[in-house]
Amino acid sequence: MLVGSDIGGTFTDVIGLANDGCVSIDKVPSTPGDFSEALLEGTIQVARNLDCEPGAIAHMRHACTVATNAILEGRGAKVALITTKGFRDVLDLRRIRMPRLYDPLYHKPAPLVPRRRRFEIDERVAHNGEVLQPLRDAEIDRVIDLIGEAGVEAIAVCLLHSYANEAHERRLGTAIARRFPEVYCSLSVDVLPEMREYERTSTTVVNSYVGPVVADYLESTVRRFASVGVAAGFELMQSSGGTAPLSEVRRLPAQIIECGPAAGVVGVQKLGDAIGEKNIIVFDMGGTTAKASLIEDGRFFVSETFEVGSELSATSAMGGGAGYSVKLPVIDIAEVGAGGGSLVSIDAAGGVVVGPRSAGADPGPACYGRGNEQATVTDANVALGYIDPSNFAGGSIAIYPELAVRAIRDTLAIRMGSTMEEAAFGIRSIANAHMARAIKAVSTYKGRDPRDFIMVACGGNGGIHGPDLAVSLGVGTVLVPPAAGVFSALGLLCANVEVMAAVPLNIMLDTADWLDVAGRLNDARGLHGARLGSTSVNNAELSFLMRYSGQAFELEVPIEPAMLIANDVSALVRRVFEAVYRQTYGYCAAETQHVELVSARLRLSALASRSMSELLKALPRGEEHRSSRKCYFGARHGFRDTLVLSRAAVPIDEAITGPAIIAEAEGTTVVPPGATVQRDRHNILRVRLPLREHP
Amino acid sequence: MKRFDPYLQEVLRSAYDAIAENLAIIVMRAAYSEIVRESLDYSTALCDRNGLTLAQGVTTPMHLGSFHDAIKNLIATVGESAADGDVFIFNDPFLAAGQHLPDIYVVKPLFHQGQIEGWATTLAHHSDVGGIVPGSNALGAREVFQEGLRLPVLPLMRRGERVSEVWAIIEANVRTPDLVRGDLEAQLAACNNCEREFAELVERYGIETIRASSDELHNHADRLTRAEFAALPDGVYTFEDHLDGLGDEPSPILLTVKLTVAGDEVTVDWTGSSSQVEGGVNTTLPFTKACSYAALRSILTVDVPNCQGFTRPIRVIAPAGSVLNANFPAPTGARGVTGYRMIDCIFGALAQVVPDRVAADSSGGSSLPTFSGFYDGSHFVFCETLMGTSGATLAHDGQEGVAHIGSNQANVPIELVEARYPLRIEEYSLVADSGGSGKTRGGLALRRSYRVLKQGMSLNIRSDKRTFPPHGLFGGSEGGASHTVIRSGEREIVVPQMPLSPLPLAEGDLVVHTMAGGGGWGNPFERAPEEVLEDVIDARVSVDAARHEYGVVVDSDVLDTAATEDLRRAQKKGSA
Repeated sequence: MLVGSDIGGTFTDVIGLANDGCVSIDKVPSTPGDFSEALLEGTIQVARNLDCEPGAIAHMRHACTVATNAILEGRGAKVALITTKGFRDVLDLRRIRMPRLYDPLYHKPAPLVPRRRRFEIDERVAHNGEVLQPLRDAEIDRVIDLIGEAGVEAIAVCLLHSYANEAHERRLGTAIARRFPEVYCSLSVDVLPEMREYERTSTTVVNSYVGPVVADYLESTVRRFASVGVAAGFELMQSSGGTAPLSEVRRLPAQIIECGPAAGVVGVQKLGDAIGEKNIIVFDMGGTTAKASLIEDGRFFVSETFEVGSELSATSAMGGGAGYSVKLPVIDIAEVGAGGGSLVSIDAAGGVVVGPRSAGADPGPACYGRGNEQATVTDANVALGYIDPSNFAGGSIAIYPELAVRAIRDTLAIRMGSTMEEAAFGIRSIANAHMARAIKAVSTYKGRDPRDFIMVACGGNGGIHGPDLAVSLGVGTVLVPPAAGVFSALGLLCANVEVMAAVPLNIMLDTADWLDVAGRLNDARGLHGARLGSTSVNNAELSFLMRYSGQAFELEVPIEPAMLIANDVSALVRRVFEAVYRQTYGYCAAETQHVELVSARLRLSALASRSMSELLKALPRGEEHRSSRKCYFGARHGFRDTLVLSRAAVPIDEAITGPAIIAEAEGTTVVPPGATVQRDRHNILRVRLPLREHP
Repeated sequence: MKRFDPYLQEVLRSAYDAIAENLAIIVMRAAYSEIVRESLDYSTALCDRNGLTLAQGVTTPMHLGSFHDAIKNLIATVGESAADGDVFIFNDPFLAAGQHLPDIYVVKPLFHQGQIEGWATTLAHHSDVGGIVPGSNALGAREVFQEGLRLPVLPLMRRGERVSEVWAIIEANVRTPDLVRGDLEAQLAACNNCEREFAELVERYGIETIRASSDELHNHADRLTRAEFAALPDGVYTFEDHLDGLGDEPSPILLTVKLTVAGDEVTVDWTGSSSQVEGGVNTTLPFTKACSYAALRSILTVDVPNCQGFTRPIRVIAPAGSVLNANFPAPTGARGVTGYRMIDCIFGALAQVVPDRVAADSSGGSSLPTFSGFYDGSHFVFCETLMGTSGATLAHDGQEGVAHIGSNQANVPIELVEARYPLRIEEYSLVADSGGSGKTRGGLALRRSYRVLKQGMSLNIRSDKRTFPPHGLFGGSEGGASHTVIRSGEREIVVPQMPLSPLPLAEGDLVVHTMAGGGGWGNPFERAPEEVLEDVIDARVSVDAARHEYGVVVDSDVLDTAATEDLRRAQKKGSA
């Protein structure tokens, strides 16, 4: 039996897949004291549902927030940092830039290692690897003594230009291992052997900061499971997509920081594989935030850098500086503070503001009746008639529609001089506009046209907003898969085991020695393939990071391996680069402009044995229900009698014309007037939108 | 007229913001020079049909408030003659309402059915535009003609075709043609994308709606700002600050501001400031307005749309012929430092109005060291903007490693500098005891040292706050003064704050630049002894300074509570 589990702040989602292909889903409240408690409870439950003994669980595939929380809550390890003499403050000074303009009171996040535990060591390497100041043994001893006095739980080492010559860092690593064998230590050459000292230092520090916490969590989880007879092999999702064995997670724990959202994207990618959709906007909306990412030609986009621990501001890709820089591959996901709980207010000049403040899960929207009287996005959806009060979150949360109506009327509509319905619909459209920015951040900001994509909506609120959002972006089709509310856990079940490897090349495209490049890629394949543990690599994806000579930001260019054995490799690769460049920036430089090949990126995978289509087939279909109620669809359509169906009641062979509402325990799907919906043979709802309709 | 649909208004505002942000992202990612792609010294905005800024990228406040004057001038110059597919370029402070010559505007009119309905606006600080010093930040220039290539409003593209003559003139007149061309291409790419996105918006909502919502956005921002100003106590608040001055024997340049809060409007009057000077620190009125707007925007408590409308309740006065509104042909190459000082000066006045919303004085914006040389037939120019540390606020110690309000720029990675230029950076760190003492402490100064690795290089540097270090507030001390020296063998040459011409460097020289530290806030003897102890343990404050500045006795990282109480009691008696 295979179990996929995703631990979130509120709920722990567990899906079990028995050997006979049966599937069972469980959602249990998370246990923040020790997250493995709820995980075990859910796991035992699905095993029981599937008539399996705990001992029959062969694999656990897992996503958790343990690394992220350690940073958000400041509960990471007590870390010492060793830097080159003259540079202990690099970590603190960061890149200077601030995430907000016009804020004299701006207060930046405190460095994860305070100044007193940042130790300078006398040594110096140049950018070409030349040793300018040798590292003496006595100097190593001196610094190690200081660290001993400081009494730390983890150590990070980042020396200038170590990517060009790792000898000094390695010697320090050896000395540290000898002196403090129990202390978690990471060297920047192992974490991020790349130029740019702040990003490398910060990433190494983050890795050491979360290292002991992640290790403890893994150990206690494995132990807890072993105590009830589960001897399953654990794998964890990585921020870059794909799961990794525990040995790899212990080596590079910073790699799992964004694993939960990544699992959801992987799930949608696998869904795309199953149904033959290659170009997808992934839209995931929950209670407090909405996330968007892009799948193009079956591949998701991987970003080189992200910031962990930043309060959610906007989608600004320009901001930067709000959190701790981590320069490791991560699926490119944009996030905005717009969710069901986003609060509505009126500014001093009569403008309507939605979010980013949220009512959260407690007290939650006004319609929960738990003391919040300010309107939220969920209240708007309830007031418009979209959400079934009797079956919200499978009936686990009571909804009082009259409270939603009152909140909107009293806090917004009366003051704006509009009807309650207009106000509720207005809230929705503003929330949609904010979320459209998240989608633009992953599409138009990269030169992609959303109209070339379909949307897959998941998360508890994905289906409520996805279709309207699609209309505003010109997207023609929205798919709402079954189990949309637990899609990350589902994604885990069919994720590949993967590692990503960066191979520094730093060569000019014109004069590249392709035999040498092929040799280096082959070596890297062998070296990094071993990180998969006992699993063997059966798939490799290759891309080059390239730029025009003189630029600082590279573009990722997918490369077919066959290209590298063609006659004129350089010209071939340049053409692909130019195509990607033109798509992104709208122009190409002259033929005479040199192109640099900075590095290669290898994604080495052991392809999953389970496919999304077999999972979809095994998911329970549910019962057929049909009813109707009045819902409001904006000034143009007004109130309409609206069909309300369960998923199973949506026909497969013909389309129903909206307005219609598909109500499920996992969430609601709103089919606006003029759109159609039908179910495909995978039990996926397929909403087709009228193109370019004015609001 | 019926009020514009408030819900649709917010939807469109979000869309304008997204377009402006995309302009900024494309410039950053496609640019070539360090100053644009690493320091991010550039700005972008989407302007409406009247040239009024609708939305701006998260870029440089000192640039942003002056876009309106530049586009207004552009509209007056090209008027009806602009055609679809045209792109305009200009930089001249006098002929084109520009800022200083390195800041080059690339602007594209956005057409709909034959009418201009908006403007894609970008401005980037280019690595060089010629003139008497590499990097074109001549402090010693006496008139604009010495500062580099002057571009009045010129076509860069005409109906989608490159105007190759203009490109050729630019490339021939700059020391770094590859960087300048690459950065111009980045600006162009951003404008083209903006055009596409704006057209989509017009197609979706109709031009009438876009026009009406643009007008409403300005009105909305105007109303919000007025509501904020109305809540401030009426009165006249003044403050004086100085630039240290130019050359080997600098004479201070006075900035004096009179801030008048009357009802829901604020007047910023610079009358009384020094006359224009023979050196690059003069500013023109559009820039003076931009800095005044930026400072006042910083004390607003709510998120006001960053469009032209928010500036309507603000009036800026600067007499012609003064250093803040210089007459032709005054040089303006190093006007940035004057801009930072204007903002600092307004904050000084605002501390009397809203003490809880401003900080004590900061390190004063960027120091601008420029290293250059000519090898193997071509120039290299390496220029970086160094920031920064802030003064203390009511609630917090001054922040270290932050940008100035005027310009949200980044530092350049040391490893990148060393890989590209004949320089080795030997120190980049905080300087102990350089933060002004106070109940909350000013941020520590930053130091950056450069080892020169080739013969025949030269140094130009624009710095300040040596004669007039950052002021403290409400009893807090001033921050440490800035300083620059060249260590050449046994000799130590003190470099003026703003040398009039570049200084020659020899191989092996070490240039050590120490920025100013932030000012403190409140009486340092009221600082919690535990906080002083933490500072001592972190080597931010020395044991000596803890005793003398704060009256806190620390011995071997342990607080001596009794001795501290005695010392503080004695000080209180002494001052009583």
